[in-house]
Amino acid sequence: MPALPRSEWYDLTRDMNWDLTYVTEDEAFPPALSNSFGVPAEDWWTWDEPYKIAYTEYVHNQAGKDQGLFSVNNVVSRSSIFENLDPGWKAAILAHYGAIAVAEYQASIGEARMARFGRAAAWRNMATYGTLDEMRHGQLQTYFPYQALNKEPRLDWAHKAYHTNEWGIIAARHVFDDMFTANDAVSTAIQLTFTFETGFTNLQFLGMAADAMKVGDLDFGALISSIQTDEARHAQQGEPTLKVLVKAGKTEIAQNLLDKMFWRAWKLFSLLTGLSMDYYTPIEHRTHSFKEFMEEFINKQFIDQFRDFGLEKPWYWDQLLNEMNWVHHAYHLGVYFWRPTVWWNPVAGTGPEERAWLEEKYPGWNDSFGKYWDVMGDNVRAGRPELTLPETFPIVCNSCQIPVCTPAGYAAGYLDSPLPYQLVRDGRTYTFCSEPCQWVFEETPEQFAGHLSIIDRLLGGLIQPPTIEGALAYMGLSPEECGVDGNDYAWATATASKTA
Amino acid sequence: MAMFPVQGFVDGDFVVVLALVDDTDPMPVVAEKIAYHSVGKRVAAQDRPLKVKRGGVVQPDDATLASLGAAPLDVLEVVYA
Repeated sequence: MPALPRSEWYDLTRDMNWDLTYVTEDEAFPPALSNSFGVPAEDWWTWDEPYKIAYTEYVHNQAGKDQGLFSVNNVVSRSSIFENLDPGWKAAILAHYGAIAVAEYQASIGEARMARFGRAAAWRNMATYGTLDEMRHGQLQTYFPYQALNKEPRLDWAHKAYHTNEWGIIAARHVFDDMFTANDAVSTAIQLTFTFETGFTNLQFLGMAADAMKVGDLDFGALISSIQTDEARHAQQGEPTLKVLVKAGKTEIAQNLLDKMFWRAWKLFSLLTGLSMDYYTPIEHRTHSFKEFMEEFINKQFIDQFRDFGLEKPWYWDQLLNEMNWVHHAYHLGVYFWRPTVWWNPVAGTGPEERAWLEEKYPGWNDSFGKYWDVMGDNVRAGRPELTLPETFPIVCNSCQIPVCTPAGYAAGYLDSPLPYQLVRDGRTYTFCSEPCQWVFEETPEQFAGHLSIIDRLLGGLIQPPTIEGALAYMGLSPEECGVDGNDYAWATATASKTA
Repeated sequence: MAMFPVQGFVDGDFVVVLALVDDTDPMPVVAEKIAYHSVGKRVAAQDRPLKVKRGGVVQPDDATLASLGAAPLDVLEVVYA
């Protein structure tokens, strides 16, 4: 270890910034990859972060984390813990691994771009650790499910999912490509590390870790808790980047970057985390509802951080609060009804006790959403479960790529109209699920206009035959992989327990 | 006659779906084709005739998508009369 105290050497060895003479600023930091938004080079050199970790310390810490984690995995993988997990929890972790594992690996591309094109040496140093972090997360979240393949073959979707055109993965890729895989360094710092990691990953990684421990899934709980310790460190790249932008009078740019990605992150997490927390996690192990987590982690803690930097709530704030009441309930209905199109077995989570819980957490749920489950339950009880399965496709939003559920918001009393938003541009009709999704599209239409949603692909003849079976094959789902009811329709025949 | 993709939903349902209709189908047939994916599956059936709303206006039963000059992926709402 160094003989000098850290404060006497760290900044000196880290902050290797210098004036460029052999090349221009734009040659060293091409705007497409870096994008200073007009902030002079020297202003970026004030960039600083609180962790101030050295490489040897980083390696030492990470080795310790992995040692603890692999010890847990080693024991758990030899036990029958996975086999005994609740079917709903299995749905939650299968969805998580498919949606997150390879995305973490892709995040290392975004971190590596900041490690090269970040505007300050301190930042590039921090992003180097971030790159290694994200590689670790990608590897861990493909290795852990790999260990359990003999117990659930579809855990290979941890690796496979991102290499398919499954509709949920198209949605995830669409937002993650925008956020980090194909973003410039400064925007990545605001949109990935500040907006997404400081804000939303707490939901999935802290919230789900708490639920995992209660469920008894030691493996998954230890895994995502360990990952979150890395996230907490490298997420710190966002704040100093934001400070530099704000100090240089670029608050409006920072606000715009944040507003766009905050909405996009919300849509994805309402699909992934909303279902896991309010429907898949067994009721006796739920710590909070999805809405309660959102209110605590996002509406209170994260918004306070906005204000600390002189930023405002996004312009669509009221619409976000509105959607928190209903949109993930609609997404759950959609995923359940179109369950052959996902790689996990969705549970309905709407037995009598679950419905009472939902009514308590979301007053009015029985009237607004319970009615759909009543009709589906009648069909199951009448011996017609095939009526709970799709024969067509939902229309998906040309921004978030998630099914358009405006009729649910209207029917539940939260929207003034059931109609989706539509835009005609260069002769093509685009459909959006919400005003903010259309706004995101229209902010940079040249970025999004050429993308084909899964429905555009179907109508454009890219999916053959244009049937449910053809679409499942296009999405990479073999008959053995397609989701089925996770509890074999027990929800439809269950009666409330005497203690409920 | 030509196959015509529309975005449709039944009043009270939760999602907009893709429905394939014919541009010469009269509105009650269009309504039926959209309702097929919803009524009795997620929305309870009612003993009343179905109507088609386009642009917020209920369309006459003898209208067709061709006569209305509708474009592919127009949004049609199906309501009970």
